[in-house]
Amino acid sequence: MKTILDYIHRETWSPYVAGILLGVVAIAAVWLSNNLLGASGAFENLAGMIGKAIAPKAFDNLYFNFIMPPGITYGVMMLVGIFFGGMIGAATSGTLMWGKKGATNSDAQWKRIFGPQVWKRWLLAFLGAIILEYAAGIAGGCTSGLVISGGMLIAPAAFIFMGGMFASGIITAWVIYRRRY
Amino acid sequence: MSTLIIALVLGVFFGFSLNKAGLTRYHKIVNIFRFTDMAVLQFIMTALTVAMIGLFSLRALGLLTFPNIPATYVVGNLVGGLLFGVGMALTGY
Repeated sequence: MKTILDYIHRETWSPYVAGILLGVVAIAAVWLSNNLLGASGAFENLAGMIGKAIAPKAFDNLYFNFIMPPGITYGVMMLVGIFFGGMIGAATSGTLMWGKKGATNSDAQWKRIFGPQVWKRWLLAFLGAIILEYAAGIAGGCTSGLVISGGMLIAPAAFIFMGGMFASGIITAWVIYRRRY
Repeated sequence: MSTLIIALVLGVFFGFSLNKAGLTRYHKIVNIFRFTDMAVLQFIMTALTVAMIGLFSLRALGLLTFPNIPATYVVGNLVGGLLFGVGMALTGY
């Protein structure tokens, strides 16, 4: 029992142990609710909700009516859970940065490459997230909704997506890091 | 309603495992693309293997049916993937 508790308090688990946990969660999602894991779709549900309230005309299209219906969906609830699950994970290992100094730009490697400015971190995160969400919309899923959920059902889409993701990810990382690659 | 609660609980475990595998950290994500830290890949592949074995055995036993499999449209999946990689390397998502 003590070993298990000690393990929970560790900051990083062996990726194999964490992977087994995620695999079991993915099975549970299908078994208990006949649904898949996902994160990116929830943002579109929420965006649809806000959009319908502010500009109902612009959001009255095929995409937001049928493909990504707005509202508090399964995915939105899961996203809320992911947020708190991540916080619990950080809290158990004592690395929760909520409200602490330097919390918004805390990654040493990021600071070395881009600089210590907080606004830069926010700007890049914002722009990068736009790219991410848009790409996930085109492909029909993100790393969780397509790579993990699709991959475990052996969907061809997941493996095509993974190939593209790694190809451009490696190129982008190379462009950013250059000599430090 | 009950499925929403299930989603919330599953999400908590999902987020917990992501945090413990280090996927909430920028350098972990970027370093797969630099081939210096393969933890994320080990994590994803382990999850995939466990889930595949579990799901296909449970289906063979007739205990569950698969939900809709993500649609395959080669150009969309590929273009989406290519764009996604850029965002991933930039933000460390």
